[in-house]
Amino acid sequence: MKYLNKLTISSVILTLLICIPALLLFLNIFVESENWQHLVDTVLFEYIFNSLYIMFGVAFLTSIIGFTTAYFTTFYKFTGSSFFQYGLILPFAIPTYIISYVYGGMFDITGTVTTYILDLLGKTLDEVIFFDIMSIEGAIIVMSLVLYPYVYLISKTYLQAESSSIVDASKTLGLSNFQIFYKVIIPISRPAIIAGVILAVMEAVADFGVMDYYGVSTFVTGIFRTWYGMGSVEDASKLASMLMLFVFLLIFLEKYQRRNKRYKSNGKDFKPIRKQKLEGKSNIFAFILCFIPFFLGFLLPFTQMSYWFYISYESIIDEDFLTIFYQTLSLGIFTSILITFLAFIFTYNIRLHKNKVAESLTQISKLGYSIPGAVVAVGILSFFAIVDNSLDILLSGTIIAVIFGYIVRFLAISINNYESGFSKIPQTYDDACKTMNISSFQTFYKVTLPLIKNSIMASFIIIFIEVIKELPLTMILRPFNFDTLAVYSHELVGQAQVIESSVPAMFIVILGIISVLAIAHKMKN
Amino acid sequence: MIGISVKNFSISFGNTTILENISFDVKEGEIVTILGPSGCGKSTILRSIASLEDKYTGEIFLNETCLVNSKDKCNSDIGYIFQDYALFPHLNVKENIEFALYKLSTNEKQKKVDKLLKQFDLIEHKNKQIHELSGGQQQRVSIARVIAYEPKVLLLDEPFSNLDTILRAKTKSWLKNLIKELGLSAILVTHDQKEALSMSDKIGIINNKKIVQFDTPKNIYEKPNSFYVANFLSEINTLPNEFFENNIDNISSKYILRVNDTKLSNIESEYKLQLEDISYCGDYNELKLSFYNKPSSSIIVKLPSISNISLEKDLYLDLNKNNIIKVIL
Repeated sequence: MKYLNKLTISSVILTLLICIPALLLFLNIFVESENWQHLVDTVLFEYIFNSLYIMFGVAFLTSIIGFTTAYFTTFYKFTGSSFFQYGLILPFAIPTYIISYVYGGMFDITGTVTTYILDLLGKTLDEVIFFDIMSIEGAIIVMSLVLYPYVYLISKTYLQAESSSIVDASKTLGLSNFQIFYKVIIPISRPAIIAGVILAVMEAVADFGVMDYYGVSTFVTGIFRTWYGMGSVEDASKLASMLMLFVFLLIFLEKYQRRNKRYKSNGKDFKPIRKQKLEGKSNIFAFILCFIPFFLGFLLPFTQMSYWFYISYESIIDEDFLTIFYQTLSLGIFTSILITFLAFIFTYNIRLHKNKVAESLTQISKLGYSIPGAVVAVGILSFFAIVDNSLDILLSGTIIAVIFGYIVRFLAISINNYESGFSKIPQTYDDACKTMNISSFQTFYKVTLPLIKNSIMASFIIIFIEVIKELPLTMILRPFNFDTLAVYSHELVGQAQVIESSVPAMFIVILGIISVLAIAHKMKN
Repeated sequence: MIGISVKNFSISFGNTTILENISFDVKEGEIVTILGPSGCGKSTILRSIASLEDKYTGEIFLNETCLVNSKDKCNSDIGYIFQDYALFPHLNVKENIEFALYKLSTNEKQKKVDKLLKQFDLIEHKNKQIHELSGGQQQRVSIARVIAYEPKVLLLDEPFSNLDTILRAKTKSWLKNLIKELGLSAILVTHDQKEALSMSDKIGIINNKKIVQFDTPKNIYEKPNSFYVANFLSEINTLPNEFFENNIDNISSKYILRVNDTKLSNIESEYKLQLEDISYCGDYNELKLSFYNKPSSSIIVKLPSISNISLEKDLYLDLNKNNIIKVIL
């Protein structure tokens, strides 16, 4: 009993620590600041307009790309369909900011591809119709190319679980494939599409790297400008809290729209979908439809990056780079172990206690993942400023602040992972041990741990990759002169060294591919 | 040998009372079945006896020892067979069986496990993983794992529900013999009437949060103390009250006849019937008939496919008054 209490107390303390930054930000809305009116008069509406424009743009593109590819790979057999099942997830491996650097480097005014095409045509930029990738529309397109897998994955899982008998019934009622698609499949998949779109939109709205590089003003870039440019903590906090409320509104909408919806079949009446073989023009159409997002979202940027890596790695990989590499690796490993351990405390507490308090604590602590990295960072700085002043210590600008930020952001991923793992271990295993008078520790060591070890490993890998990819939070909270691969890549881009930036980016992408393959493996099983 | 005594047992979850004032005894060496519909709280009684639930009020005695004071610790004299067997998937058959024998030396453990593997016909499966076994084999492993630590009382939570019909019949008699052979006291929880009647020395039937009858299978079947018990144990026909008493307004009791005891005849009697429907069921035909004198009352008769009764002729109820049961509503 004493042991169980300790777990609950730890969960309460952790939840409080995680919530404090968000609460401080929320309180900041009501604090008066000198520059706020100036921000309202000049840029605030631009931030709101751009954020909404990005939101709708990404929602539109990701839903179309994600859902149509999910539909074709679920219901049809066509050339390359087995490959596309998993190939279409690969763009997930490339963080939004990295694909934006690559596309910027290839297609902006002086981009490698633009220059090559102009040379080939023997024309100048003024003589041709040119779409400027370094624009808000460009940002929407490149982000959608790597965010559509959210819609693809959720829709595909939903279609596989739910639609077999519905489709069979529609066929017996005489509907054509196209009629089934728009009269049955699209309406029943609406909750899944919206769920995927909201995840994609949340990531797009929270993005810093793409917006900063493409020069688009949004809430997140606004936070950075107010913080670094105007030196105004209060205004940055106000912007951060507005963005946080905006994201919470999105979460609420997502939860509201799926309040009575099921996403999974109950298993008993699950029937695998019999895929229809496509031939001729339909086969070519389906192949092209799936190949384009795979090509633009993964193959093209990855190939370009590989080439840039090849021509520039010798100038980049030096002692300093190895230090950054080592720092990133140690930070990733340490944080992953810590978060994996903390998440275990939350979830194991629920399993042992099964009380509402423990469950509520876990749900609250999971909110951190939905708050954009820049917002979390500003909240932590406000919190640590109070702690520093009160206790006369220095936490701001230390590695502790960075790690704390990662905990707030990524604890939810690890908790979700454990929840899924624990749900597969029947409660009767614990009961059986109890009836056999096996101690709690022995039950944990001999039964729970061996059965949950895959979730522990998965949690470690996923958190490790998230930490390595993370950019805005690390940029704000890192100690002076402390770089990670992500920050270094961003800094190189800032110094107009897009080609060289592919070297640190390549390491991040390869780690991303490992994580995507792990997801694909999980899907397969 | 040890017996169990449950006194004034009540349990609620939140504002919902699940069971109220349940009392029953399981004498040494007896098999008692708690029978009731799904969700009536049968398993909760077992879980409370095993100290897996502690929210109950009342007392549970294991022989003379009251378990109320040790609600958070299971008693090693009690063994629990779970409905899903709760076998650990990361351990093989042998490792599962020896799981609770951590107090024994390696040699003692080995001897005991070998004996159990032989007794439960599992020797050839000892190194197999749990998912490689059939349902029946898994159940034998789960029982062996419990028997290994020599409990005096066995709690069985719907132990046959995951077995197919043929295996269920075979396993029932095997398990009953095993319990008797080892001289254990056992409490079985099930919603299957046939299982309860064939396995038990005593049956307790739960209805509306209470045990409504606790008696031997024979007495419960032949002398049900309420319409609910009679109806729950097997299919019954309700006969019109006016056939048996003058006071037809007596609505506190009913006269019933089990469907299996309901016979037809072509010989004229006062209970003339009219055939309404007939369904072919393989080795018998199920007939729905109404009383000629009272068309609103109908009965079901299972007429063997090969029978002397002619459906072309007039049909009468062949009533053996010994089979009529008067029950209180």
